[in-house]
Formats: sequence, structure tokens, C-alpha cells
Amino acid sequence: MIGSSKPLSVRGITKTYQSKTGAPVEALQPIDLEIAASEFLVIVGPSGCGKSTLLNILAGFGEPSGGEARVGDARITGPDIDRGMVFQSYALFPWLSVVSNVEFGLERKGVPKRERRQLAIDYLRMVGLEDFAERGINELSGGMKQRVAIARAFAPQPSIIFMDEPFGALDALTRRFLQRQLLRIWQQHRKTVVFVTHSVPEAIMLADRIVIMTARPGRIRKISAVDLPHPRDATSDRFRDCERELYAELDEELTRSLEVEASDLIV
Amino acid sequence: MIVIVWQLVIALFRPHVSLLPPPVLAAGEFWTLFASGELFVHTGTSLARVFSAWIITGAIAIPLGLAMGWSHRFEQIADPFVEIFRPISPLAWIPLAILWFGIGEAGKVFVVCVATFFPTLLSTIAGVKRIDPVLIHAGQVLGCTDQPSLLRKVIFPAALPGIVVGLRISFGTGWAAIIAAELVAARSGLGYLIANGMEILRADKVLVGMAMIGALGVCFDAFFRFLNRRFAWSEA
Repeated sequence: MIGSSKPLSVRGITKTYQSKTGAPVEALQPIDLEIAASEFLVIVGPSGCGKSTLLNILAGFGEPSGGEARVGDARITGPDIDRGMVFQSYALFPWLSVVSNVEFGLERKGVPKRERRQLAIDYLRMVGLEDFAERGINELSGGMKQRVAIARAFAPQPSIIFMDEPFGALDALTRRFLQRQLLRIWQQHRKTVVFVTHSVPEAIMLADRIVIMTARPGRIRKISAVDLPHPRDATSDRFRDCERELYAELDEELTRSLEVEASDLIV
Repeated sequence: MIVIVWQLVIALFRPHVSLLPPPVLAAGEFWTLFASGELFVHTGTSLARVFSAWIITGAIAIPLGLAMGWSHRFEQIADPFVEIFRPISPLAWIPLAILWFGIGEAGKVFVVCVATFFPTLLSTIAGVKRIDPVLIHAGQVLGCTDQPSLLRKVIFPAALPGIVVGLRISFGTGWAAIIAAELVAARSGLGYLIANGMEILRADKVLVGMAMIGALGVCFDAFFRFLNRRFAWSEA
């Protein structure tokens, strides 16, 4: 029931916007990235660096100005059920019950009704919410909503799952809990995951490799592998060393991004 | 409270009974019309007209509103027409309705259609525009990659609270319009009851008609609010 996962290759993707004054704004400079099947890749960078722009292009919501991205052999031209997404604001359908939300993608894939319900319950069990199957979305806490959204994203068995700051709106404890749960699910299902965050500890806790983006215009500053074995202990010395390194890289970019913002204001 | 003021006005100004009868007399007339079944016939006729018009409007205005709210290009094409017709009171259509349809059912249904059309249309458009874009994206990555399925599975249910509000408001405007249409050209309905009461100098009949209009208006509004809570999900 787990399905396949596929590699993602990003070749020379750029994005240029028209600003309000008509001047072109370069959001992304050519991005090249090879993500292996079943890899957990985390993208970090200062806010406004274009990491969400990149993720939206990869999910098929926006056209790149140049370059292309492929999942397996298929070029990304628009959103597709083979590429799942978890959003920061959960994006659950409030007119459907918890289990119907999880069934949504299965129904679109043509899974017969009874089987679909059973599968959805299985995926809810995966996130520990099988007892809440018939509840309404608005009865759930933020953390529970995001767990439903994770179950919903995994249920149609996409080859790859994008996560756009999925835990950004949650409190620290819920966040820790969901990080562990997500890791466990990822280890079971071995999906390719591309995860955007601006939390350094979160990146180190989850990632196989971390992509550090520069301040605008966004490009890849550095890609570093995290060689700590799972489960990772956030209090260990090696974890702390990784944090220190990553903060140092990001602080430089943060300074630059503040300069960019300041110059925007002057112009 | 109303009855006390009413009684007081009669005590102070002593109007002729054909202009403002005392509450007791109006209540008596209510009972007469009630017992003879005449009141039900008129009420039923008015309601049937409003309901049929309301359903016809819903079948046209809701799909049109979904399309206008969803497609920016289509909205740009359709919006000028909407804006031209919208300020025209539905009552201004009554003469044309009589010319086109005579004083049969069709003319009155037509007037109510006009009255219910814009509230339904505008609420539907607003309902679609209020949809959080992230829900659209979620629908797309879950397999609604073509417009029809996205419309059916995401946009319509997401806009439903707005649509229900529109249906509730338009029922109110339709209810007001049918009375006006019946005042002018009808041989049945609550509006006719009132108009007839005026012609034969029977203010008690007029008052019974008005009371019935008010009471039913309140009842239906409450009913739709209940439906709204019951069936349309809300963001509470």
C-alpha cells in the first residue's frame, strides 16, 4: 500500500516578478538541485528568499521564468495528485468530516467507496486520529488539523510530498511531537519529502540534507548533509554543533536580507 | 405593545372604522378569513409564486455567480450588464411584466425572479471570491486538476455559505416584490387581499394581509437561518 517514491530534479529554475513600478524583481536565480528518491530534503533561508516561491513552482502552482523540474521522468507543468502538499494553514476542507478529508484524494484516484473508507481510517491511525474520523474540522486543534492534513497528503500515495512550513503556526511542544510523528511516517513510507522551514533545530531534526538559500535574489548558498542517526537528540553535542554552523550561515544571509529590505525602502 | 399603541391611536384620533378599525375587529376579520380558508388560499398562492421564482432564479444565478466569481475574464464581460440592471428596482419591471405576460402567473413570477436574482448572484460571487486560495491548491494536489471537478468538489462547497446567505436574502426581497406585483395586477395572493381591502374600504382586511406578510417573512427568515446553521459549514 505504500507506493513508489521518485527523485526530483530541478534544473536552472529562475523566477522574475514584475514589481508594482514595473521593474523586474529577481526572486530566484538559477536553482539546480537533485533530490534522491526517499530523501528528506529541508530548505531553509531568511524570509523573502524565495523558498516558498520555489516550492510553489515545484508543486505546479506557478510557472518558472526559466528552467524546468522533473519528478522521475515527468516534467512538472501543473499541480498533480502524484505530488502531495502540506500547507502551513492546513488547508483542510471545512465542509467535510476528518475522514472525508483524507478520502478526498482517494476518491479522485477512483478507489472504490468501501476500500477508500478503510484506507482513510488506516491513514488516520498512522497519525493517531482514528477516533476522530467523524468529527468536523473546526472541532480540532491546530496540531490535530495538521496531522489530518499529513494523513490526507500521504493517503493517495504521491511520489513526493512538499511541505511548506507545516509546523510554523504550532506551539513548540506540538511541533516537537509532530516532527517525531512525521519522521516515523517518513521512515515507514519512504516518500521523497521537500520541507521548507525557517527553524534551524527543525531542519536538523528532520533533514537528510539541508539546502541553505541566500537572501533575495534566492539561490543555493550551500547544501549540507546531516549525518546524525535517527532518532536525533536535540541536546547532544553533535546536534548543537550542527545548529551553530547553520546559524552562522543563516546569520550572514539574514544581515544581507535586512540590507536588501532596507534598500527596497530607500528606492 | 403594538396593540396598545393601536388602541391608543384610536382613542385619541377616533378614525373612521373603514380607515383604522380597532384591534378586536381586525382580529375578528382574521378569524373569518382564517375559518373560511380564504387566507390560506391567498397565502398559498403568494408563496407558490415566490417559491417557483426563487427556484428558477437559483438555477440561473448560482451557476452564473460561480462562473463570475471564478473566471476573472467572464466577470469582466458579464459585470457591465449586471451593473446596468441592478439599480433598477424589481417594481419597475411590473409594467413590462404585465405587457409581456398579462396578469397571469408568469408575470408575477417574472417580477419575483428579477427581485431574487441580484441578491443570489452577488452573494454567490462574493462567496467564491472569499475562498482561501490555499483550498484551491489543496484541491488541485488532491486530484482536481480540471476545472469541472475543481468547481464541483472545491469551489461550490467552499462558496456554499455565501450562496445560502444569498438565498435567504433573496427570499426576503422576493417576498416583498410579490406583494407589490399582486397589488398592481392579480386576482389572488396576499397583495391582492390588501389591494381589494383598500378598494372596498375594508382596512381590517388590509391589516390582516399585512400581519400575515410580516409573520411569514419572520418565519421564513428564521427557517433559513436554521438551515444555514444546520447545512452550511461555517468558519466559526
